[in-house]
Amino acid sequence: MDRVTRFAAVNTKIRALEGDFLKNQHYVEMLRQKSIQELAGYLKENTPYRKLLGDINPDAVNRATLEEILRRNMVNNLDKLLYFFYGTYREFLKALYLKYEIEDLKNLARDIYNNSKSDLENRPYSFIGKYSKVSSEHVLKAVTLREFILALEGSEFYDYVEPLLDGKRENLFRLEMALDMAYFSILKKSSEKLEKGDRKIVEEYEGMVSDLYNLQWIYRGKKYYMLSPEELLNYTIDMGNRINFFKRRQLCYSRNLEELNNMARELGYGFLFKKEETGDIYMERRINRFLYYRLRALSKRYPMSIIQAIAYTQFLEFEIRDIISIAECIRYNLSPEESGRFLIRVL
Amino acid sequence: MAIEKMKLIGIIGKITQVNKILRLIILSGSMHVINSLTKVSSNDFVLPPNEENIKALEEVPFLKPYTSRRDFSREEEVVRSLLDIFDLNPAIKPEYFDQDYEFDDFMKQIFEIHSAVHSIAESIEAKKRTIEQKRVYINNLRYLENYKFNIGKLSKMHFLSFKLIKLSKENYMKLKKNYENIPAVVLKIADEGKNVVVASITPKSLDETVERIFSSLNFTELPLPEDFDGTSKAAIKHLEASINEDNSAIDSMLKSIEDFRTKYSHEIEKAYARLEMEKKVEEVKTNLAIGKNLFFMFGFVPASYVDKLKSSLKGTFGEDIIIIIEDAEKKTPGITPPTKLNNIALIRPFEEMVKMYGVPSYNEKDPTLFFALSYLLLFGAMFGDVGQGLVLFLSGLLIKYLTSKTVFGGVLASIGLSSTIFGFLYGSVFGSEEVIPALLVRPMANINFMLAGAVALGIVLTIFGFIYNIINSYIDRNLEDGIFSRNGVTGLVFYILLIYAVYSYAVGTGVLSPAIPISLVVLILLMVFKQPLAGRLMGTGIHFKESPVDYYVEEGFGALETVLSAMSNTISFIRVGAFALNHVGLYIAFDTMAEMASSGIASYLLLVLGNVVIICLEGLIVFIQALRLEYYELFSKYFRGDGVEYEPVKIRLTHKPLRGKNLIKRFIGLDYAI
Repeated sequence: MDRVTRFAAVNTKIRALEGDFLKNQHYVEMLRQKSIQELAGYLKENTPYRKLLGDINPDAVNRATLEEILRRNMVNNLDKLLYFFYGTYREFLKALYLKYEIEDLKNLARDIYNNSKSDLENRPYSFIGKYSKVSSEHVLKAVTLREFILALEGSEFYDYVEPLLDGKRENLFRLEMALDMAYFSILKKSSEKLEKGDRKIVEEYEGMVSDLYNLQWIYRGKKYYMLSPEELLNYTIDMGNRINFFKRRQLCYSRNLEELNNMARELGYGFLFKKEETGDIYMERRINRFLYYRLRALSKRYPMSIIQAIAYTQFLEFEIRDIISIAECIRYNLSPEESGRFLIRVL
Repeated sequence: MAIEKMKLIGIIGKITQVNKILRLIILSGSMHVINSLTKVSSNDFVLPPNEENIKALEEVPFLKPYTSRRDFSREEEVVRSLLDIFDLNPAIKPEYFDQDYEFDDFMKQIFEIHSAVHSIAESIEAKKRTIEQKRVYINNLRYLENYKFNIGKLSKMHFLSFKLIKLSKENYMKLKKNYENIPAVVLKIADEGKNVVVASITPKSLDETVERIFSSLNFTELPLPEDFDGTSKAAIKHLEASINEDNSAIDSMLKSIEDFRTKYSHEIEKAYARLEMEKKVEEVKTNLAIGKNLFFMFGFVPASYVDKLKSSLKGTFGEDIIIIIEDAEKKTPGITPPTKLNNIALIRPFEEMVKMYGVPSYNEKDPTLFFALSYLLLFGAMFGDVGQGLVLFLSGLLIKYLTSKTVFGGVLASIGLSSTIFGFLYGSVFGSEEVIPALLVRPMANINFMLAGAVALGIVLTIFGFIYNIINSYIDRNLEDGIFSRNGVTGLVFYILLIYAVYSYAVGTGVLSPAIPISLVVLILLMVFKQPLAGRLMGTGIHFKESPVDYYVEEGFGALETVLSAMSNTISFIRVGAFALNHVGLYIAFDTMAEMASSGIASYLLLVLGNVVIICLEGLIVFIQALRLEYYELFSKYFRGDGVEYEPVKIRLTHKPLRGKNLIKRFIGLDYAI
């Protein structure tokens, strides 16, 4: 199909939606707020979020409700993009959005595991059942992880989590890993059905994402979880841009963190491990910031392609993450300069 | 052919008999129950103080609503599971309620049946589960069928452990690529597309490590039977034999269930019907007023059913029950008599289209007849074609008799017929104007006539609308609306004069007499002052519903709107002519294309396609346009539609399929065969 017919309309929509993104100035001022309520008030008075927060009393807002409002808004905006696609492209976009659904599923599983599901009021898990065939009603009723897994029956995740039901492996770690693996496997399969040009672009972008997450996983697995190289390797994402299977295997079998660090530097991903002592807590942010710039470059390079929708989705996610980070920093009384370092966006 | 007359019936009976009385009422299916407390507490509730009523009168001050709603979930569960086990289709037949029964006593017996049957069903389920397990073993053993070793020995090795596992292909590839680091012998046994089955052999001491590695590959272990000595083939044989044993055990248990079924199936069906009835009774009870020993209920019953209901109640309960019958016309605030439309079968489907706008109120004149006739006229005029009309007619009949959508089918058949009639008038068959002569006019050849005729039709229909409103206002004794309003007599005279003035101006028959503009102005003034005028005439004095300033501002603009809408409403009907032309035009377009087509078959196909498009697309548009004229141009004039629909409490009985329907099915089948 002609690229213009496929993307012209949705790109216009994306431009319009991007008009609602926050500006640098907004971030600077948000960092100066003294409390979550003030932050919500600021969002309501001075930013495009006024539409969303219209009938919400900022004084009654806490971090969890704010996050929920923002996430629900995200669901709405993502739905808007979905209307512009059909067929394999629609399937792909839905697969991409599964990321957020899986995030919610994992949160729910965690709550079930910790027996803290009582505050359902605060965390209604907006994404569950939005893009997959998961029945949110069934899943939310689950009281044990086993029930949770069984409730996924009929969804695209079930094939991936069913093997856990042997009585020994129904634990949170395996479940989360299985869901993550499911996401990348579904995403990979659906991206293979796109047209060639778009497939290449998605391969490039998702390859990069996988490189970064694989590195992070291997690093953490070695440093904190003491996993065996075989297990590390088995849990890596089976995609890559600069890191192919054999490089990945080398990384997993590296003897110590020093060696891993050096190998990463050779691959051009040295920035993940800066020398500072507190490096680990910034790793996630570094990944996101790197992706942010790469996405900006990619979407400039391929104006009429699927990357536009991917970039919009990702930017929206980054914006929400940043707002939540700011909310957290405010709560722990961090100075604006300090807080700024936790943001994906560079101010 | 109008709205059916209602009577308000009050029933006072003993609380001990309430369920039985309600059952009878529900079975009769004729009472529209209203909230009894509203009625009892209204000041027009009178019970003649005689000996018969004395007990009831004593209770009136103590009446309260029925609040304790009974929960039937246990009964429902039991009945459901019995229906499931016996595989019965629930049915509700009137004879199930014939005998006198107490629901709870009856259910006791059902509970007993259930507990007996349930345990058998459970053990069948248990057997089925073990069969399922054995099937899984057999399935797994099949992977090893080709190997002629003793699987019992394999699973009982001292230093090595043997496992059969399933992996997804992706994960198997990971395993394969990193095979040199895996401390196990892994042997691929089967490839099933998405999944791969492998056998693994590991030293027992490394079991844990290997298990962790496999876990990270998301494996599924395929269990093998323990304690078995022999080859896989022998094991399968053994398992199959034991499955057969289990099956025959199940059969004998099923047999005993079958015995229960033949013995009790009638009772179970009855239980279902009675349970449904009891739920309905409970629902109706919320409208009752309950005293110490008596209950009061009120409801509207169509006049023609009253005697039947009364005699059946009296016949069953005799002196224990007091029945009060009142005319529905008596007005009690908060109680509106329900509307039951009663029209001849031919136009009954149009009742639904009227109800889409609103249910006529009880005192209103039923607009269905006028609606149906004018709708048919409008539709036919816009979509006049013998062939296409017949297609609509026949498909309407098919839908009506073969599916449950009788309303839609009925409407479709009627408008198809109307279209056919107009087809003869226009002389058009499937768009072609060469087959039959036109009895009245050829639309395309007489464009001006069509448009002018449409407007004339509109004027006539609008005048009928005025008359309807005047009648309705008369019934309502509403002087303001009937005489002075813009839809009343004043409005009608104004409308006719205005049309006349415009007509003579347009035709140019000379100068208008000055009387006409003067009387138009006078009529407008009448409309503006309708409320005070009506008040004076009725002798109730001048009352404004809102402040006088608001009233006059509103009515001033109202007068302006009257003038504008009188014209726009009339001109709106021009679309009737326009669509009649459009209908021909669309066909001409396809006809031209057909002529341009090179081959005969192609042009024939184009004509067929053209007709399909016209029937589906234009048919739908015309259907909507006619409805729009009805709702907007006509209903807004005279139809208020603020009535309450007549909804008697009843239970849906299960009927055997009607013979008539079968006959038609057979008839159509025969037709196809020929």
